[in-house]
Amino acid sequence: MTTYDENILVALSNAMVDAVAKAGASVVTVDARRRIPASGIAYDKNLVLTAEHVVERDDDIRILLPDGSDVPAAVAGRDPGSDLALLRINTGGLIPAEPAAQEARIGQIALALGRPTPEGIQASLGVVSAIGGPVRTGHGGLLERYIRTDTIPYPGFSGGPLVDASGHLLGVNTSGLMRGGALTIPAPLAWQTAASLAQHGSVRRGFLGIRSQPVAIPAAQQKALGREQATGLLLVGVEDDSPAMAGGLMVGDILVGLAGQPVTDPDELLARLVGQIVGQPTLVEVLRGGQPARITVKIRERK
Amino acid sequence: MIDLTATLAKALEEVVQRVQRSLVVLHNGHQGVGAGIIWRSDGVIVTNQHVVAHGGARTALLDRREYPARLVAEDPEVDLAILKIDANRLPPSLVADAHSLRVGQLVLAVGHPWGQRNVVTAGLISGFGTAQTRGPRHSVEVIRSDVSLAPGNSGGPLVNAAGAVVGINTMIVGGDQGIAIPSHVVSAFVEEALRRNGLARPALEAYA
Repeated sequence: MTTYDENILVALSNAMVDAVAKAGASVVTVDARRRIPASGIAYDKNLVLTAEHVVERDDDIRILLPDGSDVPAAVAGRDPGSDLALLRINTGGLIPAEPAAQEARIGQIALALGRPTPEGIQASLGVVSAIGGPVRTGHGGLLERYIRTDTIPYPGFSGGPLVDASGHLLGVNTSGLMRGGALTIPAPLAWQTAASLAQHGSVRRGFLGIRSQPVAIPAAQQKALGREQATGLLLVGVEDDSPAMAGGLMVGDILVGLAGQPVTDPDELLARLVGQIVGQPTLVEVLRGGQPARITVKIRERK
Repeated sequence: MIDLTATLAKALEEVVQRVQRSLVVLHNGHQGVGAGIIWRSDGVIVTNQHVVAHGGARTALLDRREYPARLVAEDPEVDLAILKIDANRLPPSLVADAHSLRVGQLVLAVGHPWGQRNVVTAGLISGFGTAQTRGPRHSVEVIRSDVSLAPGNSGGPLVNAAGAVVGINTMIVGGDQGIAIPSHVVSAFVEEALRRNGLARPALEAYA
């Protein structure tokens, strides 16, 4: 017989309270739009990661810290493609969120947190319902992976964290990325974007200068390639003065790999053209006349 | 190693049974049903004012015994009402102080959503706030939870993981957020109203 004080539900309840308290110390209010303020996550001592769509203005941005202090902030960078923005404060003193060691798993208990009002941290309970991606977003971006949960996206929860039962960050919640609902940007992706925003002020997206369509690769050519890969991208156009033209890519080539990774569809290509790769000489693997060929292309930044 | 989910399920069952013993069904024959909780073993029932606003509430206990209820006090501003039925040795609710609640705490709502009896929904404390009211108080403290509520949950308890009442479920606002009146607001209202009506608790609880 369990007692009133020692039943396992009480233990679970206490653990959830601790998770909210721990994670909530890194959650701030982001006041940068006309409607009710939204939420943000401390990424560094003086940097706040939030949803790009809630930062409607560049001036007069206020951040309300968990201790109640109200500080001005400036935009350090924006990436509308993944609906993430980074804000900088001069005072510092934020407690950075701790990403979970393991990525979100379906069925896992998850808490969505937000701090849209001075009344304190808010929370909603659910489970990780699905993990999907890649998916194209409404702003020409591409989200490699996303998490869906059955937590309730309360007003002002955009920019706030999804955390696990021990308060570690699983991702960033936003209802502005895809029409028809809230989703969560996985923490590794969000942190990667934040790093790029902190360094460059934007997410660098690469540009090859090709038009392509997916095609099946015949078995004999897969053999020549030395791996099982059912599809690649047939080049149907190469732009003048483009990195592809400069590197020697030709119409009729089938693009099968980039920087040592297979490329099987256009979304995969877009996902691989982000970040460090931009500006670097990069190995492009193609099938030309049925035979594999390796061509070096210097990837340019997309304007 | 213990079977964690089975242990959780068993604990949940025990807590729910304890709460259901002190839950009543309120109806007046034609409107939908509402919920109420047994506050005192001598038949003091607490519910929402809007549940009994149409009058003539009959009270059914878990064992289906029915009693006519007398309205002792009501306060539309905080949506609370006190009923009295002529019954004794009823199992009163455990009540916890809502001041000690924290965001993230597990809570259960028990009530009769859409008329379905003794339904349990689970969630957590989402946050705290105040709601503007029309009356001398001007505002009242509220508890927000993400527990799923429907008509018929009104007047029923929001309980903590030990099964003690932390609030009375009152209404549903935008975004599925459930609102409950905190137990300390309920206690203050009940104690004051009972004293005014000569029903203050006897110095010795005769049915303890």
